[in-house]
Amino acid sequence: MSNRQDEGLSAFARRMHASGTNLEQHTPNSIFSRIPGSEIPQHKIKHSAKVTVVGVGNVGMACAQTMLSAGLLNELALVDVLEDRLQGELLDLQHSAAFLPRVKIVADTDYGVSADSDICIVTAGARQREGESRIDLLDRNVNLFKKIIPELVRHSPDTILLIVSNPVDILAYVSWKLSGLPPNRVIGSGTNLDSSRLRSLLADKFEVSALNVHGYIIGEHGDNSVPLWSSLSVANVPVLNFHDKKGVQYNKETLEEFHKAVVKSAYEVIRLKGYTSWAIGFSVASIVKSLLRDQMHVHPVSVLANSFYGIDYDVFLSLPAQLGSAGVLGIANLPITEDEAQRLQNSAKILRGMLDKSKMQ
Amino acid sequence: MSGDNMERGGVKPLFVKIPGSDLPTQIETRFKVTVVGVGNVGMACAQTCLTEDLVDELALVDIQADKLRGEMLDLQHAAAFLPRVKIVADTDYAISAGSDICIVTAGARQREGESRPSLLGRNLTLFKSIIPQLVHYSPNAILLIVSNPVDILTYVSWKLSGFPPNRVIGTGTNLDSSRLRFLIADKFDVNAHNVHGYMVGEHGDSSVPLWSTLTLANVPVLNVRDKNGVSYSKESLQELHRTVVESAYEVIKLKGYTSWAIGYSTASLVKSLLRDQRRIYPVSVRAKGFYGIENEVYLSLPSQLGRAGVLGVANVKMGEEEMQKLQQSAKTIWKLQSELEF
Repeated sequence: MSNRQDEGLSAFARRMHASGTNLEQHTPNSIFSRIPGSEIPQHKIKHSAKVTVVGVGNVGMACAQTMLSAGLLNELALVDVLEDRLQGELLDLQHSAAFLPRVKIVADTDYGVSADSDICIVTAGARQREGESRIDLLDRNVNLFKKIIPELVRHSPDTILLIVSNPVDILAYVSWKLSGLPPNRVIGSGTNLDSSRLRSLLADKFEVSALNVHGYIIGEHGDNSVPLWSSLSVANVPVLNFHDKKGVQYNKETLEEFHKAVVKSAYEVIRLKGYTSWAIGFSVASIVKSLLRDQMHVHPVSVLANSFYGIDYDVFLSLPAQLGSAGVLGIANLPITEDEAQRLQNSAKILRGMLDKSKMQ
Repeated sequence: MSGDNMERGGVKPLFVKIPGSDLPTQIETRFKVTVVGVGNVGMACAQTCLTEDLVDELALVDIQADKLRGEMLDLQHAAAFLPRVKIVADTDYAISAGSDICIVTAGARQREGESRPSLLGRNLTLFKSIIPQLVHYSPNAILLIVSNPVDILTYVSWKLSGFPPNRVIGTGTNLDSSRLRFLIADKFDVNAHNVHGYMVGEHGDSSVPLWSTLTLANVPVLNVRDKNGVSYSKESLQELHRTVVESAYEVIKLKGYTSWAIGYSTASLVKSLLRDQRRIYPVSVRAKGFYGIENEVYLSLPSQLGRAGVLGVANVKMGEEEMQKLQQSAKTIWKLQSELEF
């Protein structure tokens, strides 16, 4: 493999479409700042759309089916270790041919089937056993990823990795380390769904469309996520200044109730139906659309956060990231409060702590 | 500047209506669909109806309260990725009130060694508790039956509902036809949308592929060669038919059930019905009087679907052999149906 920094842009970089701006790093007045180490190329891309999904469990299949319904793909590859299930899922999707645009759908236990993917989505992961610690679960998943990530990169050196498996921030970091890819091409689904859940809850309370609620939950995808109340708005009006139809005013305390509800959401669905699938499927499809179609849409997703918001070590967590064909084009320089910055740095410390304890450094 | 009547304790409301506005407190839902049964099939149908943007309101009904609530929440959590839709769920059928379409996917699964009449008997009991409730809360709905054996259960639903037959439909061979079109499209390297043809009759072993009217780019399939130079004889087509019939069993054997394909199939029917598309689909309809069928049975025939349900059955040109097979299919269904105790 050539040393990309010495020889200039990689084949991938040469193939891809320019972000449209010459993003400087850390310019205080710019909206977006590039992740250090990114390779954002300048040339036009020939549109192709192949996505591989690793893991054909409920999450993987919801991602696959939602992407198909959205008409995003020319080719879909499924990879898993369970042959029968894999073949069954392949056939079930193929049988939908008359109801979908023409897509090539393939599946194999061999990663060769994933060759030349634009995006590789990883949903495979060990589930927490009874009484198992998070660190032990993490180490089992690290071992699993050691088998998956190198294979994906070997067959698709120009791909973008999109990690969904939990704990997503840690596994996105692990994937970055194992892949050797530049950081703009390794993303975790992060708090994209959490943010959407928050927006939906508020949309309900204010009786508006969720599309008019703007705001992010960032940081760890989990208990220590950070809702950015200071920049939460409805119809561009800051939420903290207004009351809803019933005259309830929204201050930080009442909003924390919403945050708690969002954090508990996944646990509740898992308790009731055994797993979550539909919502994460839609969330992942929306990320894939921005990537494949070069939408330059901002999503709160798990990225390499070193050098942003006072974080000065390697860790992956969710930040508002602009996504396009080249992956993470840049991180938004959102004004956040002292308190929010504190919480974010705390979130980062906890994640870094877990990494330090695990076998993956 | 905000007006005086807007502030309350210094905090403004987010939206203020225009003085003189006449805003109703309740907006009537335009398109409401109920799905009964939140198993893999029901949820694939529900989720696909959402992604296809077919509904303003989606109601889920099942007897398992926890699973039901979990599925409802999982869909609600996707709200920011979908157009604004009201998603509700309850074990009580009142939640289904005012539905335009009621999709029934609930059904007992075949036990090891269980006979078809026995399975059928259990499903009849189940439908006796489902159909009257749906009818009570949505007397103008269209019933769309997915549960198997679909032809008989659609007949049962028709009888239990007291609805005119145009408002009781079974998904029938819509998916079988899709599978057939996919297989042929694959052999010829074309888009499945350019393969036109129907499988009719029973959704099952005695289904009838209408080879004589199967076309590809409007060319009869019996006359063309595929990309490998293979031309299609009746025998090779029989092979294709067998593959289609076995398809569902194969998927069930491999992954435990089928879901995605039937979800897409059902959503495409819902679209033609709700949006009055008047497209033709091979679906399970009241077949007596068509193509020489004398039994009072439901089986799949090419039918035009619109807002009023089944607008009519197409007068497709069938060969002698095809008509005979269809009549035989009807007899097979009739025999099993007559063993049912109503």
